[in-house]
Amino acid sequence: MTNPTEDDLKVIADQVWSSYLDLDGASPLIPHPHDKPVADVTASVSVTGAWRGHVLVSCSEQAAKNVAAALLSIDFEEVVEEDVADALGELANIIGGNVKSLLPEPCALSLPHVHVDGSNGRYPSVTEVCHLDGTWLAESVTVTVLESTADLAGAPV
Amino acid sequence: MTLTAQEFAFISGLVRRDAAIVLEAGKEYLVEARLLPLARQSGLPTVSEFVNRAQQRPEPEMHAKIVDALTTNETSFFRDGEPFKQLVDTVLPDLLARRAATRTIKIWSAASSSGQEPYTLAMVLQDSLPAGWTFDILGTDISTEMLTRAEAGQYTQLEVNRGLPAPLLVKHFERNGAHWKVTPTLRANVSFRRLNLAAPFPPMGPFDIVFIRNVLIYFDVQTKRTVLQRVAGTLRPDGWLFLGSAETTIGIDDRYERVVAGRTSAYKLRASARAATPVSAVGKG
Amino acid sequence: MLTMVIDDSRAMRLILKRIVAQLGFDVVEAGDGRQAMDYLEANVLEGGGEIPGLALVDWNMPEMNGLEFVTAVRAEPRLRGMTLMMVTTESEQSQIVRALASGAHEYVIKPFTPDAIIDKLALLGLVSNGVAA
Repeated sequence: MTNPTEDDLKVIADQVWSSYLDLDGASPLIPHPHDKPVADVTASVSVTGAWRGHVLVSCSEQAAKNVAAALLSIDFEEVVEEDVADALGELANIIGGNVKSLLPEPCALSLPHVHVDGSNGRYPSVTEVCHLDGTWLAESVTVTVLESTADLAGAPV
Repeated sequence: MTLTAQEFAFISGLVRRDAAIVLEAGKEYLVEARLLPLARQSGLPTVSEFVNRAQQRPEPEMHAKIVDALTTNETSFFRDGEPFKQLVDTVLPDLLARRAATRTIKIWSAASSSGQEPYTLAMVLQDSLPAGWTFDILGTDISTEMLTRAEAGQYTQLEVNRGLPAPLLVKHFERNGAHWKVTPTLRANVSFRRLNLAAPFPPMGPFDIVFIRNVLIYFDVQTKRTVLQRVAGTLRPDGWLFLGSAETTIGIDDRYERVVAGRTSAYKLRASARAATPVSAVGKG
Repeated sequence: MLTMVIDDSRAMRLILKRIVAQLGFDVVEAGDGRQAMDYLEANVLEGGGEIPGLALVDWNMPEMNGLEFVTAVRAEPRLRGMTLMMVTTESEQSQIVRALASGAHEYVIKPFTPDAIIDKLALLGLVSNGVAA
């Protein structure tokens, strides 16, 4: 099998954005390389089974609030931390699920984990497969696919 | 809105000449929206500048792209539902009786765009025809870009999510990376050809069923009449015609009569209007 | 008509609720298959209340996942009137086949547009001309 690519992430992101975050086509996710990606908030899902790794969605706090406002149909000012966790978590779930369908079968997706404090969780023994840097509403958004390099017992694969 | 009245007039003239499409005043927003991607691809920031360049440097290839962008129809699988239900409930039982000798059915899907309609027709026929029967679907469109897409028979997840019953998705499509592609079995019964409805047709048909949905609305009355007349020449005397849900032949062409089919209408040639012999087919028609 | 929206994501429940409420359906929410099953047992099977005509069911949920919920509902003859539509990120062909084989009537892959759900409801006869049939 061939690993997922940045182009695959772009196709997936475009579909997610046009379905939930950019309904009128006026504010898409624009691919844009970042020197220093902002990761105030990171939501991730883990993939286990025939392939093992993680799919992460990181963005600035502003972008995270915009995601929550869009998904929950509330005003930006009304967004609270719980809203951000839920909205980003579902975003990671949907993007992760679509990445999973490009991987060898059978695989399972974990429930999402969300970090709102600038940390992005610890992923020991991983290698990056691909990532997509983008700008949405002038804010930084990044999708990353990480593959585990150690087997379940911790030995290198 | 950057488009000037003169630029809009130029575009309207172009599509009218090439495709008999009528863009009345008020459709400026449509031209802006549809041509913006082309403008960006050409490296120009506004549609106005893009149209200006198209006027000053006439290139047949760019003109064709402009016509394509303005004539592309949104389409989906099983669009509007009811016509396909009536295909199964009303039309096929009728044709199964009438074609018992030849046991084959030919269908034309005019203005097939990215192909969802012909493939929908193929799915319905493959699943509804008894053993021993064959069928043929011809999809035509004015846009070579759309025809290329339709020939590939490959759709995004968003496209197969719309209107396509899940049991049919898993039966007639196979995943191909992030996309879904029609199975070779389904593909084998569908062919595509470029056709401009506003120009005289090459020899075609004869067809048992013609679907020409949501494209006549773009033409003026005279062109509608001409198209329906040409279509009549490709239709078997007892063949069926389906239009878009908001369209009708009434008041436009007398040679058809309306037939109520479930919650929709279909059209058949009046006895008085039937050609003595159908137009002869050349090759697959 | 009563519709159940079963998903562990509050955001997704909100999105789905909005779509079906606009069509004129009444909505009952549940955060997982277990909660949904408890509702059916208490209010419908024992309570004799209205059987939901439709359930939009996520797959991956804690406690009881969507596939298990669909299987349980289809095993109960008194719930035969329920149309079960899975709405999920699981998009492998084999997963869709599994869901249909377990008794799901329809399947929508995330991400979806409102039209995707509405078109499928129309094909199932639950919606006509943009409103609940």
